[in-house]
Amino acid sequence: MANLLGVWERPDVDTVSRELYLGNRMNGSKVIVIKAPGVTGSNGDLDRAKISGMLSLGFGKLTGTRETGEGLARLFARDARIGVKINTIGGRTISTRPELSLSLAELFIKNGWPERNIVVWDRTNRELREAGYRLSDRPTGLKIFATDTAGAGYETEIISHRNIGSLFSTIQTNFVTASISLAILKDHGLAGITAGMKNYFGAIHNPNKYHDTHCDPFIAELFESEPIKAKHRLSILDALVVQYHRGPSFHTQWAEPCDALILSLDPVAADAVGWRLIERLRSKKGLPSLKEEGREPVFLATAQKLGLGRADSDSIEVIEDEL
Amino acid sequence: MKRRRFCETLAGTGFLLRTGAAATLARAWDFQDIANLSHVEARYYKKHPDREIECLLCPRLCRLGDKERGYCGVRQNDGGTYYTLVYGKACSANVDPIEKKPFFHFLPGTDAFSIATAGCNVNCKFCQNWQISQVRAEQVPHFDLPPEEVAAAAEKSRCRSVAYTYTEPTVFFEYMQDSAISAHKRGLRNCVVTAGHIQPEPLQDLLKVVDAVKIDLKSFRQDFYRDYVRGDLQPVLDAIRKVSQTKVWLEIVYLVIPTLNDQKEDIRSMCRWIAQEIGLDVPLHFTRFHPMYLIKNLPPTPLSTLESLRDIAMEEGIHYVYVGNVPGHQGENTYCPRCRNTVIERFGMQVKSVSMSKGACRSCHNPIPGVWA
Repeated sequence: MANLLGVWERPDVDTVSRELYLGNRMNGSKVIVIKAPGVTGSNGDLDRAKISGMLSLGFGKLTGTRETGEGLARLFARDARIGVKINTIGGRTISTRPELSLSLAELFIKNGWPERNIVVWDRTNRELREAGYRLSDRPTGLKIFATDTAGAGYETEIISHRNIGSLFSTIQTNFVTASISLAILKDHGLAGITAGMKNYFGAIHNPNKYHDTHCDPFIAELFESEPIKAKHRLSILDALVVQYHRGPSFHTQWAEPCDALILSLDPVAADAVGWRLIERLRSKKGLPSLKEEGREPVFLATAQKLGLGRADSDSIEVIEDEL
Repeated sequence: MKRRRFCETLAGTGFLLRTGAAATLARAWDFQDIANLSHVEARYYKKHPDREIECLLCPRLCRLGDKERGYCGVRQNDGGTYYTLVYGKACSANVDPIEKKPFFHFLPGTDAFSIATAGCNVNCKFCQNWQISQVRAEQVPHFDLPPEEVAAAAEKSRCRSVAYTYTEPTVFFEYMQDSAISAHKRGLRNCVVTAGHIQPEPLQDLLKVVDAVKIDLKSFRQDFYRDYVRGDLQPVLDAIRKVSQTKVWLEIVYLVIPTLNDQKEDIRSMCRWIAQEIGLDVPLHFTRFHPMYLIKNLPPTPLSTLESLRDIAMEEGIHYVYVGNVPGHQGENTYCPRCRNTVIERFGMQVKSVSMSKGACRSCHNPIPGVWA
């Protein structure tokens, strides 16, 4: 695997990219919601051109730039090794869509980031394949593979942080210097919602140990751990089709096409806006709120207390636009 | 490793490995294909609408949507049916002295064919086998070893019993239950090494097919269970009481962790509870902690602490109180409570001498409780 990746030794902290990210965070908790009616075709296929357009528009709004490349450069150093952490546990029906992840990777490549420095990843190759991804580990190309790839795997030393004690994926610890959480937005029976922060449960070996007490404080504390917090740059929520009830597994009757992407540099604010979207859908469909069901996503308040971002509506600026 | 190769290894070494779980730990992060895991329907769960299930095996009562894993990491909801992923998928199989479990009043000096699968339904911060217990089924090497082969391998290794141990056997309940039935058919005994975090119904069923249970009582305080075990105390006390009400042999182990669960007043309360609820004849082992897993900042338990806790237990009238993980300590021996004669002398996991006849002290003929043959 060392040869496959070409850069598999443990990296230094990507301070350039980190400073760019923190500089942008200074502007407050801005969350961009980009909608593109019709991006999902009647047969369920996505319009790749529209997806790219949504991402470009989103980066522009997020960074205040006209050119996508310029916007990306505000967040990612040119030599950053970019990890796009997706969520594929839901199979083909309710996972981060390949069309979205690959469009995001293409944006970087088109704007001059080396494709060999980008990895789209999750925890198992089986789940990646089942969600429609074609695996690739070419040393010189875009990489799509999971932690269970031979030569990758988990660290052998436990990282302990507050209530978290886990082995982290070596993709996150050794390859990635700048991380994007490209998560599917879903209702979650225990956490309330699963979105950008909980997506990192797929970066550790024992997520099953962190579902007690509505996954709180575990989601926030995992995010606060060094391998995640030091590298996270951007949250993008796939809200093209939103499972707003009985998640995280797919149920047709409670899955609503929303044709939207949510982007933010603030991981807590992105998830908070995602939560509001789910609540709006639930209200529209006559369902009780998550709070009424006793599963309000309390991890957001914990994350805010830990200083990871803002969960209060009043402190989040939501900018909506349509392609 | 395939079963045939494993069994060849077994035959080739005569008595297989006597090294505990260590042989498997070094390669604990080699992934297994999830397709090679078992897909055997679980025995204790309830179906709910919308493909949800509720696990009824342990007090966590995990309620899971489709494709979700239980807390144990080795049971999964697939399409509204709950499956065990580790049936017949052993990650450890060794021939161990029964004293290693430890059982001191159950077939002393014999070997136990000891098996485990991945997984655990608690998450002790001081786990000694976390590399196989705190992982998901596919994250640890395993081999096919169906129940009938467990019994056959135990017999071939000249073991007197099969021990379900190393991780938490509750999470491989179905495999344990069927292996125990197979072992009994061959005249072997079954012993279980557990944290006792199990629901009453499966425990009741388990007690029909096993002969001895060792329960790790990790503290006598709920807050310790909450903070360091991620479980609850009461179900464990209930399990201890339940086992003590049957003919199944019971021993209790208490791992003493400096500053965390070594308060004398708690130990005295625990001993009084044992004396009152369980009886004075249940063997009680105070074992030495070594820094491990998530608790590496504490020293090994001082010998003086172990000795003082043992003294408290004996003051409360408990007859058989042991000190564990301290080879050569006098607290490893069994003494006749009537004449104080040494009836079993041990060194570590070895029995050095036995001074008993027909289950009684050879000196004063006082019966010593246990399963001796």
